[in-house]
Amino acid sequence: MFLRQFAIGLLAAFTMSSVVFADETDVSIVPPAEGSVSIENGLDAFSRIYEVASHPRCSNCHVGADNRPMWSGPSYGRTRAHGMNINAGDSRIGAETIQCSTCHAYREGLNDTPHAAPQVAMNWQLAPVEAEWFGKSSDEICNQLRDPDRNGGRTMLELAEHLNHDLILHWAWNPGGGREPAPYSLQEHIDDLLIWGVAGFPCAND
Amino acid sequence: MQITVNGKIRDVDVEDDMPLLWVLRDELGITGVKYGCGIAQCGACTVQMDGLAVRSCQVTAASADGADITTIEGLGTPDALHVMQAAWVEHQVAQCGYCQSGQIMQAVTLLDTNPDPTDDDIDAVMSGNLCRCGTYPRIRAAIKTAAAKMQET
Amino acid sequence: MGRLRTIARRTFLFGSVAIAGGVAFGTYLVKRDIPNPLEDDLAAGEATFNPWVKIDGQTITLITPHSDKGQGVVSAQAALIAEELDLDFGQFKVSFGAPSPAYWNTAMASEGAPFKSTDQSFAAETTRSMMGGLMKVIGLQGTGGSTSMADSFDKLRYAGAVARETLKLAASQQHGVPVAELKTKSGAVILPDGTEIPYTALANAAAALDPVEDVTLRDPSMWRLIGKPMERLDIVGKSTGTLDYGIDLSVDGMVHAAVRLDPCRSGEIVSYDASAARAMRGVSDVLEITDGLAVIADNTWRAIQAANAIDVTWGNPPYPPAMDGHWDALAASFNPDQLDRQWRDDGDVDGALASGSVVEAEYRSPYVAHAPLEPLNAIVVVTDDTVEIWTGHQMPRQLLTIISGVTGHDEAQITFHNQFIGGSFGHRLEFEYIKQAAEIANQMRGTPVKLTYSREEDFAQDFPRHIAMGRAKGTVSNGQVETIDVAIAAPSVMSSQMARAGIPVPGPDMQIAAGAWNNPYAIPNYRMSAYRAPELAPTSSWRAVGAPAAGFIFDSFLDELIHAAGADPMAERIRLIDHDVSRKVLEAVADMSSWGGELAPNQGRGVAFVESFGVPTAEVVQVTATDAGIRLDKVWVACDVGTVIDPVNFENLVQGGVIFGLGHAINSEITYADGMAEQTNYHAHEAMRMYQCPEIIVKGLENNSHVRGIGEPPVPPAAPALANAIFAATGQRLREMPFNKFIDFV
Repeated sequence: MFLRQFAIGLLAAFTMSSVVFADETDVSIVPPAEGSVSIENGLDAFSRIYEVASHPRCSNCHVGADNRPMWSGPSYGRTRAHGMNINAGDSRIGAETIQCSTCHAYREGLNDTPHAAPQVAMNWQLAPVEAEWFGKSSDEICNQLRDPDRNGGRTMLELAEHLNHDLILHWAWNPGGGREPAPYSLQEHIDDLLIWGVAGFPCAND
Repeated sequence: MQITVNGKIRDVDVEDDMPLLWVLRDELGITGVKYGCGIAQCGACTVQMDGLAVRSCQVTAASADGADITTIEGLGTPDALHVMQAAWVEHQVAQCGYCQSGQIMQAVTLLDTNPDPTDDDIDAVMSGNLCRCGTYPRIRAAIKTAAAKMQET
Repeated sequence: MGRLRTIARRTFLFGSVAIAGGVAFGTYLVKRDIPNPLEDDLAAGEATFNPWVKIDGQTITLITPHSDKGQGVVSAQAALIAEELDLDFGQFKVSFGAPSPAYWNTAMASEGAPFKSTDQSFAAETTRSMMGGLMKVIGLQGTGGSTSMADSFDKLRYAGAVARETLKLAASQQHGVPVAELKTKSGAVILPDGTEIPYTALANAAAALDPVEDVTLRDPSMWRLIGKPMERLDIVGKSTGTLDYGIDLSVDGMVHAAVRLDPCRSGEIVSYDASAARAMRGVSDVLEITDGLAVIADNTWRAIQAANAIDVTWGNPPYPPAMDGHWDALAASFNPDQLDRQWRDDGDVDGALASGSVVEAEYRSPYVAHAPLEPLNAIVVVTDDTVEIWTGHQMPRQLLTIISGVTGHDEAQITFHNQFIGGSFGHRLEFEYIKQAAEIANQMRGTPVKLTYSREEDFAQDFPRHIAMGRAKGTVSNGQVETIDVAIAAPSVMSSQMARAGIPVPGPDMQIAAGAWNNPYAIPNYRMSAYRAPELAPTSSWRAVGAPAAGFIFDSFLDELIHAAGADPMAERIRLIDHDVSRKVLEAVADMSSWGGELAPNQGRGVAFVESFGVPTAEVVQVTATDAGIRLDKVWVACDVGTVIDPVNFENLVQGGVIFGLGHAINSEITYADGMAEQTNYHAHEAMRMYQCPEIIVKGLENNSHVRGIGEPPVPPAAPALANAIFAATGQRLREMPFNKFIDFV
């Protein structure tokens, strides 16, 4: 808990001068009591997590080893690779080709312009290749998220912390510019993660 | 706020969210940087910010505060062309020319990170810069010429 | 050359047209001398030989009245004058000149004459000349239809030669040396002893002479500039950001304007609330104008932001609100009452269709936006006595009339400064944005107003390329194409566009059929019928105008017939063509591409031939069907413009035209929903980006007897050549653009 507050404190300091990025300070990370969640409720929670993970706001940048982000979902037309031949490289930030930040600039504030490059107050980038979600099934993502080799070795709480800290991720619920937000809310998503974790990270294929 | 543009420190008093593009064009009168789309779809407004290409229509004035900006005017002049500009002239790249400032600024950043690019490398970096006239074959050729010249020196 | 010289003298400088007859008052006016617009503001010490050359004690200025929207025509026009005048690049300035009837475009009118460009019969030539006379009356100083070189080639060389000979005469009198012993070189008259007398030093003396008009144009073997690579006059400026486009200009005391215009073209603002806009930083006013609202501010971005903040309810569109209604209107237009013209009916089409096994297909060509990269803009200042305008436009002369209608000033009170244009593709033939700028400036007389469209307004207010639907039938026999019967229904782009320009265009609209009726194929039974759909969304000339749609329909269907006949697409086209210049173009592209050579199993090649603007153009496209989609490998192009002025710029324009044709065929359309164009910016209408751009090999042939322009002709064959190549590679026949609705591209 101390760690969490410390981290939030840092973030708050970091963004103090900015206009809005209110989400991070509003989120609470309070897991249900150990043993209080049934497997069934855990699976229900994961199905909601999957709705988020497979949503275009998330999955478009959770792509595989070809390092090519996607354009899909409402307001993006038919599903296709990110325009302009974008390849973010193994760096996942475009260092080998064209930096994501060439267009996805650093911005403190809202993305209010339709079809402009989404921006947050950190470097735009793809998720790590281990976290490939685009086009993956619920079972695949479920197994991946609970696998320490592929989730960055994170515990349940550390996963929740990660959700709280990543500003690109926050953007998914407040994408602006007429884009469809990821379902539920960041708080609900974190709550679901905690429910799923307390239930023992069950997957439907167990 | 204060921005260094082509080596000169400039003070501007604008809204935090005014795009750098319009700070340059309308507040500072630097018009080599072009408005084409306003949403990072065309690349005509590309400048270098602290040595990296950015679409100046996407950079807010607030985030450019304290930054070092280079526009096409700061790259070279008609009397003292930058290697990339000389290659553009040699290959007679421009048709309408409106996108070319942005193309050249992006190409300079490309060679900064990849001094000997292949066609595929060029296509990976330059495909965000739209040319409505279709000068792409000449842009590819000019970048290769500039790369060769830079390696000689 | 002898005949051309005669025409040059009689038509271009004396203003007479080499035909008898014509419309009654037109003939009189046509034969009247056009005043020289430069004489109005000649300073002491300046001489003018004709409206194309101006020399004073310091400077030689060449007038290049055709607008330059990227095609390099300023350099090409200057080169034509400089060739005969013996000037080197770097020794002269160029100016677009003032709008004047003296700069009428004879070639543009010729293209409007309903004869195939390949038809050089007496009737065809005569009608073209009559159209030229008509246009001279109208004073249409236009740039379009790839006519700048056709219009300028003789006229400007002749102008240069007249200037040269007059300067020699002046030197002859000054130095007592016979003209025959004088030479000219690099901007100077050379005396027999080698003394160089700069033209600028002869300006005063030349001003006292009658121009020497009995001149001989140089034989092509003597050309120093024409046909050689030249450094475009604008190339350094465009490579250093130092060339100003209209959007880069500012005038002292200027305010910035942005517009919020009716995306439904209803002509009605039901209601609006501009209170939020008025409260924004830098905003000084919100004005009502004809098509919507204008925000006045101290900065372009602030004006655009405020315009976006206005809450407006518009009226209903005067066309179907959704695309289905547009296509339905075309489908319903294939009936005798709407037959605009049957352009061709060779052989016995009905008999052949009744007796043979009939191949049938339907094609669609969508609305497409111009979307040049420089958004529309204009600076206008209106005072009680004057109007001054800075923008780039393709019809300067007509612009004066249009603005006069807005502000009420006499045309003589209006000054227009034409500018280099950041792309047009036809958009800068339209007047609406200048009318709006003039309306705004007229409401705030004395204050210069710079109107800049946002990209979103530029898309929403575009007059896109017209939609077209084709219905084609044909027969084959004995391995050959026997019958082709192509019907095309489309709204009239000419009547839509010219109505806004205030120029009536009676008669059928050749652009519905252009690219489908005029291809020089001797197919035994060949019919082409154009049906005029009602006006739908307002449309305007888009690079190559009718031929990108009609050429796609015609050539794609011809390819279907050739495949049905089991013939080779190249060999059968060459067999059918009965025009030598055109056949050589096809033979050249077959040779360049090694047509018939080995390909990988997933590769395919297509060929297409379309003649437009008098330029027969053939293209071969090679594609590979990869797992991820179609990849464009390579394109070969051969075309014939008679004389290539600058081979480097020529290659650039051909490559650009191919890219324009391919990119839009693959990726772009404008569709309407709720009466508005759904595509608001380049993310939804990007045409071609670099990664899709194939290698493009270009060859310019010079067998054509007429000099033609190259800005547009490479566009029309690109789409059918690609569709034909995709069919060859995959067996999938694409009959509707854009192709990416039906197949993926990488």
